[in-house]
Amino acid sequence: MAPPWLDVLDETIGACVTHRRPDLEARLREKRAQQLDPKLRVLVVGESKQGKSQLVNALLNAPVCAVGDDITTTVPTFVQHADTPSAALVRNSSARGSIFHTPTERIAVPIDQVTKQVSTAHAQHVVRAEIGIPRALLDNGLVLIDTPGVGDTRSAHTASTFATLMQADAVLMVSDATGELTSAEMTLLKKVMQACPNVTVVVTKIDLVPSWRAVVERNRALLARAGVPAKLIPVSSALRLRAAKTGDQRLNTESGFPELLACVQRDIVASADLLARRAVAVVASSALTQLVTPLREELTAHDSSRTAATISTLQEAQRRVDELRRRSARWQNVLNDEMADLISDVEYDLRDRTRKILREVDKTYDEADPAIGWDQFEQWLEDNLNEAATTNFAWLMERAEWVAAKVAKNFPVYREDLIPGSVLPDDLLEPASKLEKPKIEPFSVPQKLFTGLRGSYGGVLMFGLVTSLAGMPLINVISLGAGALFGGKSILDESDQRLKRRQAAAKAAAQRHVDDFFMKFSKDVRDAGRHIQRSLRNHFSTLAEELQETLLESARSAKRAVQDDQTERERRMREGRKELDKLVTLYKRVQALGGPAMELSA
Amino acid sequence: MTLDRVVWSMLQEALAVYRDSPRATAWLRSHVERYTEPVRIAVAGRSRIGKSTVVSALVGDEFTPQSSFVWYRGGTEPRAHVFSGPGRPHEVTIGRRGSRHHVETGHVDRADRVVVEWPARTLRDIVLIDTPAEATPEQVLGEADALLYLMRHVQDDDLKFLQSANDHPIARVAAVHTVAVLARADEIGAGRIDALSSAKQIARRYRRDVAVQPLCQNVVSVAGLLAVAAKTLREDEFQALRILASLGREELEDHLLSADRFVGEQFPVPMEPAVRQALLERFGIFGVRLITALIRQGFDSQVKLTGQLVQRSGLGELRDSIAIHFTERREILKARSALLALDVLFRMEPRQNARKLMADLERVVASAHDFRELRLVAALQSGRTKLPAELQAEALRLVGAEGTSPLARLGFEYEADHGELREALLDALLRWQAQAADVHAPNDHRKAAQIVVRTCEGLLPQFR
Repeated sequence: MAPPWLDVLDETIGACVTHRRPDLEARLREKRAQQLDPKLRVLVVGESKQGKSQLVNALLNAPVCAVGDDITTTVPTFVQHADTPSAALVRNSSARGSIFHTPTERIAVPIDQVTKQVSTAHAQHVVRAEIGIPRALLDNGLVLIDTPGVGDTRSAHTASTFATLMQADAVLMVSDATGELTSAEMTLLKKVMQACPNVTVVVTKIDLVPSWRAVVERNRALLARAGVPAKLIPVSSALRLRAAKTGDQRLNTESGFPELLACVQRDIVASADLLARRAVAVVASSALTQLVTPLREELTAHDSSRTAATISTLQEAQRRVDELRRRSARWQNVLNDEMADLISDVEYDLRDRTRKILREVDKTYDEADPAIGWDQFEQWLEDNLNEAATTNFAWLMERAEWVAAKVAKNFPVYREDLIPGSVLPDDLLEPASKLEKPKIEPFSVPQKLFTGLRGSYGGVLMFGLVTSLAGMPLINVISLGAGALFGGKSILDESDQRLKRRQAAAKAAAQRHVDDFFMKFSKDVRDAGRHIQRSLRNHFSTLAEELQETLLESARSAKRAVQDDQTERERRMREGRKELDKLVTLYKRVQALGGPAMELSA
Repeated sequence: MTLDRVVWSMLQEALAVYRDSPRATAWLRSHVERYTEPVRIAVAGRSRIGKSTVVSALVGDEFTPQSSFVWYRGGTEPRAHVFSGPGRPHEVTIGRRGSRHHVETGHVDRADRVVVEWPARTLRDIVLIDTPAEATPEQVLGEADALLYLMRHVQDDDLKFLQSANDHPIARVAAVHTVAVLARADEIGAGRIDALSSAKQIARRYRRDVAVQPLCQNVVSVAGLLAVAAKTLREDEFQALRILASLGREELEDHLLSADRFVGEQFPVPMEPAVRQALLERFGIFGVRLITALIRQGFDSQVKLTGQLVQRSGLGELRDSIAIHFTERREILKARSALLALDVLFRMEPRQNARKLMADLERVVASAHDFRELRLVAALQSGRTKLPAELQAEALRLVGAEGTSPLARLGFEYEADHGELREALLDALLRWQAQAADVHAPNDHRKAAQIVVRTCEGLLPQFR
């Protein structure tokens, strides 16, 4: 029949599996395998240089562990029964890795070499040494484990000791008689008690210290004060080894080892079942405590934190809707202002350009005669006006895009399609009316003749009268000459006047044309601007509406989540309580295992 | 100006600046006074490690342990004062308890400090402070310039104590005040007859240990009981030991197996158990073993035995360490303590007109060549700075790791004459100047060389 502790342990392992704690499970399984193993592991621990290895040697009457004045034991040494003496080093095959769960290899070494090999520096990856010797003490499965000292500056040693501690059935805590237990040793003792409750404190080196009895008494008092239910046995390894050499029974008794051996036999070997129960009780209750704590926390804190999370999601969603509303007023303002600016700027630009053209026309027709090359002029004017229109319009487009970008920037969220592709109206730039040719009166030859004759008449008469006074006929050479002169002049005058008239007419025609053009085009531009404004506004309002809808939806779903959470949480609470009750019952059973001899602080 | 002069003038200047604050003035006065005193060495360690024993061994007379700070100063005749509370100290008598001297503090419940004036040669150069085990590092180091830290094996707790001793920024810059002592060296080897030599080996190993090295200047091993025995061995004890030694080795060995056996009823020679008990208490079982073995080996007069014991117990080495690291560097240690005190003052009572002094403090801490030398020693010894092997040895010697006299720095074993020293110095200077200017060398290498060059230049005026 399986012992009762096995059931409890198996149930605890089951609980670990349900609560998804593979680490605890692995630890408990290890413990289970170890408890089912008939071997009894007795760990020898203590601070460095307390005589741990020497104690093992003295217990076995054989120099199996390396002893020395400096730090000697660097890896745990397992001493167990074997029919013939044998020894092996166990090394990590991989260079780095933890003590457990890594592939290891065993290397057999001669038994008289093992102590040397362990302590030499090249034994880098040795994780433990295993030694088998034929001894009656070890016959019934006892394994003595010598460990590196705790609290040494080279912490790797300490780590391996604690790793070995997990496998121990019983512990011999070693402290030498040169001083009472230090606070560090008491801490260590308490730590050991947590992992393995079967501790015996061994006070060594009593041969060296005259006042060892006082030290032992003080240690007993210290243990009692700390509430540590551990036995305390004073021994002297040196005396025991000496007694073994000389066969001196009295010396052996003096060494205190008979008592220690009796204690080992009685408390460890003979009461293996009790030890197992105690050990299982401790390990299982520590595992259960670890399971219960998060569960309890989940029941109280965790769920409320989840609700808090959903509520905060809801608040966030609402906050974003408000934000969006606030921001949309802003982008609309930006759009209106910018478009107003844009249109007035563009109009001004256009006016500026047309005025420049007019000034050019004026300058030209101050000099030139419109009768000559009117066609060319017409072409030039058309070209210039076209160019002004195109530039102006291009600028309008540029500005419009810039405005779109600016509005997008003021939009509450960023999206890929935020800036509209095209904002242009399609029907634009109809040509303005044709430039009408100004009326040009030609200065024909009969007109010239008539004007010349009209002018010369005055000249002939004027000079004819003057010369007639001198007795010359009215028509003479002089008066005829003057008449010709006067005629020529009046022809010139007349043609000059005609030119002026023509120029004025041309200017007026150009002016009219440019005005027409300006009227027409500025209207177009303004229309285009309004069109752009309208399309931008449409575009952005559509986006804003979409966005608002999304946000409202998420707010609504958050609200729903809060409601759902409530019910879910209640369900989980119920389940968690059930689990917790189960674990607590198990925990009580585990504690009952320890028996009345155990004082378990849970 | 040398470091101690600079610091001295800073102390005076601080006195002037803080003359209107009675607390600061008292604090500064005490430090001015302390500045001219011998080096104060605190002896600290866990309880029952043997602090009083080591102090007794150094003083040369055995004192009973007290539960408070006990100061041992040099004096022309034995006197003791008890400082308790704010009142004036009062004198107490020094009586005897068995072979030990005992300061009769009986009627004082709790003394803050007991000051013993004692005519001893050692106390001419140093003041020893025996500290209680529960004293914190701050208490221990507040009054002391240097620290002897006692431990059995270097354990984490010990390292923590030493680290907290170096926690202050100025202390870190000048971590020059600690010698670690493996006390109870006799117990390290489980009382075997060769225990002391193996303890010495362990001390040597710790000297190279990366965790220990930056925290202390040296590690030595001392067997406290033996050291005291060496200094205070009495005629009657010597005779008793001789009688023991006259027994056969085998025969005696059985009775020296354990302390219990030694004082047991059956004993081959007629000797009162009380006498044996006394011997055991004075020398320990190991001491009795060693001394009888030594007598048998031929150290059969008290003088020969004493000499042998001083050497074997490690007391000699401890004294040398104290001499090299503390007494010879008195100025630096004193300057360091004063700088720490000034730093405390500036932080407790910061003042506008102390700005200059604070800047001075920072400059001195950062630039004092003596500290730099010591830092280089620490860096070289801990392996933080690496030099080629032959250069490393020379650099360490020149910056004074083996002693600060020109002879020791230049590595002369004998009294060399002026010219010889000058030659050696110039030679070293040229060599290290080349090292400092070597562009291919790594940076720390060149920096180290610059410090050595500066040291050589500092020595040069002495050999003009």
